[in-house]
Amino acid sequence: MTSVPTRWWQVGILLQIALRNLWASKARSAIVGGIILMGAVLVVVGSSLLDSIDAGMTGSIQGSLGGHIQVYDARSKDELALYGGMLGESQLHPIEDFEKVKRTLAAVPGVKMVVPMGIDQAMIATGNLFDVALEKLRADVRRIQAGDRSAQTAERYAAHKAHFRRMVTVLDGELRQASAIEDEGGPSGADRRRGREERARAISDGFWGGFDADPLPALEFLENRIAPQSLDGAWNFVRYVGTDIDAFFRAFDRTEIVEGTRVPPGQRGILLGKLYAEDYLKLRTARRLDKIRDARNIQGRTIAKDEELQRWVRENTHELRDILLQLDPIQAAEAGRRLREALGSKETGLEKLLVQLLTTDDSNFAARYRVFYDKVAPLLQLYVVRVGDSITISAPGKSGYVKSVTVKVWGFVQFRGLEKSALAGIMSLLDIVSFRDLYGHLTKEKAAEIEKLKVEAGLKHVSRENAEAELFGGGAPASEARATAFDENKVLDKRGSRPAPPGSFSPDEVDRGVALNAAVILDDPRRIPQGLGAVEAAAKRAGLTLKVVTWQQASGMIGQFVTLSRIILYTAVLIIFAVALVIINNAMVMATLQRVKEIGTMRAIGAQGRFVLVMMLVETVTLGLFFGLLGAGAGMGIVWLIRATGGIAARTDALYFFFSGPALMPALGATSLLASLVIVALVSVFSGLYPALLARRVTPLEAMSSDD
Amino acid sequence: MPPIVSARNVSKIYKLGKTEVPALRGVSIDVHPGEFLSVAGPSGSGKTTLLNLIGCVDTPSSGTVEVSGQDTSKLGERALTDLRLHRIGFIFQSFNLVSVLTIQQNVEFPLLLQGSSSSRERRDRVGALLDAVGLSDHAKHRPSELSGGQRQRVAVARALVTRPALVLADEPTANLDSQTGATIIDLMRDLNRKDGTTFIFSTHDQKIMSHASAIVRIADGQIVGREQANGAAAGAAT
Repeated sequence: MTSVPTRWWQVGILLQIALRNLWASKARSAIVGGIILMGAVLVVVGSSLLDSIDAGMTGSIQGSLGGHIQVYDARSKDELALYGGMLGESQLHPIEDFEKVKRTLAAVPGVKMVVPMGIDQAMIATGNLFDVALEKLRADVRRIQAGDRSAQTAERYAAHKAHFRRMVTVLDGELRQASAIEDEGGPSGADRRRGREERARAISDGFWGGFDADPLPALEFLENRIAPQSLDGAWNFVRYVGTDIDAFFRAFDRTEIVEGTRVPPGQRGILLGKLYAEDYLKLRTARRLDKIRDARNIQGRTIAKDEELQRWVRENTHELRDILLQLDPIQAAEAGRRLREALGSKETGLEKLLVQLLTTDDSNFAARYRVFYDKVAPLLQLYVVRVGDSITISAPGKSGYVKSVTVKVWGFVQFRGLEKSALAGIMSLLDIVSFRDLYGHLTKEKAAEIEKLKVEAGLKHVSRENAEAELFGGGAPASEARATAFDENKVLDKRGSRPAPPGSFSPDEVDRGVALNAAVILDDPRRIPQGLGAVEAAAKRAGLTLKVVTWQQASGMIGQFVTLSRIILYTAVLIIFAVALVIINNAMVMATLQRVKEIGTMRAIGAQGRFVLVMMLVETVTLGLFFGLLGAGAGMGIVWLIRATGGIAARTDALYFFFSGPALMPALGATSLLASLVIVALVSVFSGLYPALLARRVTPLEAMSSDD
Repeated sequence: MPPIVSARNVSKIYKLGKTEVPALRGVSIDVHPGEFLSVAGPSGSGKTTLLNLIGCVDTPSSGTVEVSGQDTSKLGERALTDLRLHRIGFIFQSFNLVSVLTIQQNVEFPLLLQGSSSSRERRDRVGALLDAVGLSDHAKHRPSELSGGQRQRVAVARALVTRPALVLADEPTANLDSQTGATIIDLMRDLNRKDGTTFIFSTHDQKIMSHASAIVRIADGQIVGREQANGAAAGAAT
């Protein structure tokens, strides 16, 4: 008479009892099963979405700016935030000797590249329509002064003069309207008065009558006194990363040139972010047309139903000034001719033709869009900055002065897959030497060098009281004072080098100097944790005060997004399953209480407590596994459906970044499936445990009660 | 032949809050193999308590109960359960079948708990017993599809399937009409005669009592008399 353990053939009867009991109380099973099913669907779909976003963002960040590991000076006030922090750019303590950092880190096994970086924002002067018109006029003047006597040039010259004069007339009208409501008194009133007088002169017959006789001073006057009065946005912010552009392209394989060429090694230059150019530098009419097209094609919006699209259409028909002012009379005539032909219109006024062109609805938008780009756009300058232009970048340097650097725009750049992501797409690439000029940080060596220069040039500090005596030598002969004057050539000769010609620098200057942070690229992206440790150790050994972080940490809030989403998902899952736990627990306790007599009978005729325990557990686990698997299957179905229908479209710029492309294609991970099953199994066991223990405590005496 | 049940000076006191309610007061009884014993008495007299103690589903407050020569007070919960599984069959007042199992599975259930017989043995034994109680045609039915009398016959079959030495039946006919009740008692009596299985059943029905080989009368927790009736099983006479 030995104790008989639960044997495998008992499993059959246990399963039958479980299934039949579950079937017998269908409502309860359905409710409990429904909750488990929902939870499993949530786990599978949610985690596969998050896994895909995670993979997408990893690609986005690693491929655009982050690399695998980032280092920056440990003394920095802020943490590195590659995509900008909450309050603008983070304040980083400069890495003064990037060369040493590069040498140290590049020697670490597994490190492929070390790329210097300095991310900052600055203003760029982009010029305005007046500058564009003046440039044309100046080109005419130059051609004529060079001896061009052709009728064509004369005609164009006349047209450009007339165009500019009309622009000033329009400007004058605008400014008069604006100042009609303002006070004429005070210093600003005086400025305004002078401006008005200057405009009056630039419109007058006298000015233009005498223009040909002496065009250069007249051009000077127009450029210095009239063009600045234009209210057009002549300043723009640009966010750039100062870097070794050559190394950057090698390290970040998503970087690609859209137009133009890379900045050649040793040359100053900037590659403007394509999206930045689209958003900030493009003719607004064209930009709005692009946005309407994208909204219609990608987001499925319609002009008929969408108020924003209607507003853009309206703005396009109202704000024609930029186009009209750009076109000189010859171009305007050509534009009119082309539009009459394309639109089949008899209208003669260009403005009315443009209104006609830009008054679009869903039926004609695509055709009108093509007309604009095929017929009108070639006559216009679509971007205020073109490839090949030089732009002046100004930033408040660390030395306290506003620093300005003029660099050539070599091209437009974008990150593959992130073309429309505002976070990555607006980033421009600047050569690091220009970056350092703008950053204005004086390294110790440079400060020492300047000090040396001062001494060599005979400069010395003079107090205010003694200034006069020092300057005029207190009666000493003036010739002596001249001897200490600054002689640039002499000083430069002593230094034994010639200043680099503007626009170029020697290759070793790239590494020698300041950087704010550096991206470390590893041979194997899967070994980031190991790489992190190795880089940290190497930096410490070399006595570098570096903070070493992963690309994720370096990306600031953006990098935390996935972690945050995961926390939210798992919290939701936890809540659902906590609720499920309580409900299942309650349901099974009820079931136990209903079956006390049956359980007591089983105990009386010889079932051990353990048998009862297992019997109750089998019931909940069967229920849990069945609906858990069903839920996982449904989740897989949903994921498959999302993929089959082209994924989740990135409707906003931010989503474009998270999805690392135009659409999110969720992938089913084995881990998410496994996780859902494990969670479901755990929940069923835990929720069934208490009622099962309760059932085990039922005594055989319960079978004897005769109360039914 | 030693008695299959031997109770000595058994008392059972239930605690209801602070008051102690004595259910049995110093009961001693021997039951011999092959007996068809009826425990008779009014409700509340202690019949059920006595059967529970003999059936090892409850333990006495004082005194000893020996079943098949084993002192139940010296056995643990598991051993008691095993004793029930292998030596005792139960028939309940309200049949107590497992509602989600078929008739066949209900009868087979104790054999599955024993876990020592092959599926063929089980099938044969269950088939024979269903034949004996006349329910072969209902093997695949659920208890809810059967009448009260039929259910109690299933319970009889279940009680006997493990070939126990002792079958306990607490008011087996109380939920049946008198005619059906009589048939059940006849069935039990037949099986007692055929296999020599010892039966102890409680009842307060005079007609039912008359089938017994011996009647133990109990009142206020004490045995007030034992009378030998006609037609006891072979070798049951004391």
